[in-house]
Amino acid sequence: MTEPHSHGKRILVVDDGMTTRLYYRSVFEAAGFVVEEAANGLEGLERALVEPFDLLVVDVNMPKMDGYTLIERLRGDATGQAVPIVTISTEAGASDAERALEAGANLYLVKPAAPAALRHFAALMTGVAA
Amino acid sequence: MSVTAPLIDPLLPVARAEDARAPISPQDYAKFCDFFYRKTGIIFGANKAYFAERRLQDRIAATGHAGFRDYFTLLRFEIGGAEMQQLVNAMTIKETYFYREDYQFDALVRHVLPAIAAERAPGTPIRIWSLPCSTGEEPYSIAMQILEHWSQADRYDIEILASDIDSRALADARAGVYGERALHRLPPALKQRYFTPYGDGYRICDALRGSIDFTQVNVADAATMRRYRDIDVIFCRNMLIYFDEVSRRQAVETLYDSLRPGGVICLGHSESMSRMSSLFAPRRFGTTILYQRPVDHD
Amino acid sequence: MALIKARRATPDAVAEAIPLTLDSLVAQLGSPVASERRAAARALDAHEDGIPALCDRVAAEVAPSVCEAIMAALVRRASSAVVAALLPLLRDGTPVQRNAALEALAVMPEHVAPHVAALLRDPDTDVRIFTANLLSVLPHAEAAAWLVEALADPHANVCAAAVDGLAEIGDARALPALAALPARFPDDSFLAFAVQLASQRIDQ
Repeated sequence: MTEPHSHGKRILVVDDGMTTRLYYRSVFEAAGFVVEEAANGLEGLERALVEPFDLLVVDVNMPKMDGYTLIERLRGDATGQAVPIVTISTEAGASDAERALEAGANLYLVKPAAPAALRHFAALMTGVAA
Repeated sequence: MSVTAPLIDPLLPVARAEDARAPISPQDYAKFCDFFYRKTGIIFGANKAYFAERRLQDRIAATGHAGFRDYFTLLRFEIGGAEMQQLVNAMTIKETYFYREDYQFDALVRHVLPAIAAERAPGTPIRIWSLPCSTGEEPYSIAMQILEHWSQADRYDIEILASDIDSRALADARAGVYGERALHRLPPALKQRYFTPYGDGYRICDALRGSIDFTQVNVADAATMRRYRDIDVIFCRNMLIYFDEVSRRQAVETLYDSLRPGGVICLGHSESMSRMSSLFAPRRFGTTILYQRPVDHD
Repeated sequence: MALIKARRATPDAVAEAIPLTLDSLVAQLGSPVASERRAAARALDAHEDGIPALCDRVAAEVAPSVCEAIMAALVRRASSAVVAALLPLLRDGTPVQRNAALEALAVMPEHVAPHVAALLRDPDTDVRIFTANLLSVLPHAEAAAWLVEALADPHANVCAAAVDGLAEIGDARALPALAALPARFPDDSFLAFAVQLASQRIDQ
């Protein structure tokens, strides 16, 4: 459950790993965020198109639709232009970071992302006081 | 380095009063929810947990299993997924009435049809398919919605096709007679305009009855399905979720082939292509997600 | 009125009903036009001898709608030949091909089983990760035991994938190996979380 004084900012975690989604959930809920999940890129896009979120945390390699495609399609829709997006990937190459940023991500992180770093970026990108 | 929050599995529900049948442990309920979510995309919120647990206990008992573990093995291992289908049936509500999930009909006339019209010369056909149509509430709802709320309706030849595997349901649909319950969500003005009292119920007006083409179709029968082509909009609500995965895959391929490029398919409220296929692109129409066959062919 | 009664079938549909020979379908599967390849794949799906041609084509096909049609056909014809055609996609395929292959393999447990040991020893870390992912959804009685074996993998991400799978399908036999894991990767907070979650789910 979220902390008693949750600021109510909403994060959508998009990752095909059940444990990974729960991990992010526990990290972000500890910082007062409301967390929703999607298990693949297609589900993530569906939810991001019609529900309001303050931040998207998006894995790259997923079934049905990868993270880059999700971001491109979301940015191509009027409602998806402004939401901050972090991609988190196992790939550490410069070209992967470029690909993510070209697709429309705001930030590219490499797994494993430390909980403190995740909370720091989440707070920064959603305008929550640190 | 450790996670600072206490490690609580967020799916552990609060303990509740005893049940006559073997209770489901919090860990088992969590496993079940993850599995069901993975397979169907459906999440049981805290307010649905009691219902979901009861239904799960029903299925464990109905299949003669002593407890969750053996039942879970059946669910995961059964070839053909018959019990999974039973479980989905048990977890979802099946009923039909006019204007069910009507936000989708709203999206049709406010966003989808205008988008089609913008690229279609007046006088040309627009083909809409309700499949499965059951006893007709859905296709008649679509027809009423278009006549009432799409100002451009007269400029196009709108074909509404309606199909089902059940011939008795089709006979009822053609007859067009319904009870009060089927009409409970219908605005009174529409009831007035399109229905006349008939025995204990109401009959849909002749003009509408005559304008819908009801046909018997089995989605799994490729030869029949091949006759349906260049469809602009398919309403396929609350059918695919009840199929086993292999049949569902085939049905989705067949439905894709029946759509024209750029055509859209509308699923039921609890259904998502994210658990079925990546053939379709989710598109936002207002605040509704429909699935589009891509225009470019790869 | 704007609503008109639909015609039962479009004229084109009648022409399509003429069946093509197997040879012509196989040739059409190599067409430069994706829609033609898809039509061929759909027809081969319905043809009792269509599978070998689809197996031959799957690695080379990158058009999504054709890939989907081929996979929809393969997924209902479990066999060692189909598995042999799909396994290379785990290493060499595009992400789309690889994920589609994993989905298909997940419904062919008996034909996948003979390959599991080799897959878990594959020199490519990603192949071992994908194998662990596959095992967590594979309806095979040995899947949980294979995941426990995977906990001995030298790479943390393979172990993490195995732990994730054990959270769903693991039983008490996994607990000792799970408990020993964090000591091998002491700085991995995600792995510690995963082990705790899986242990809680198993240990009731």
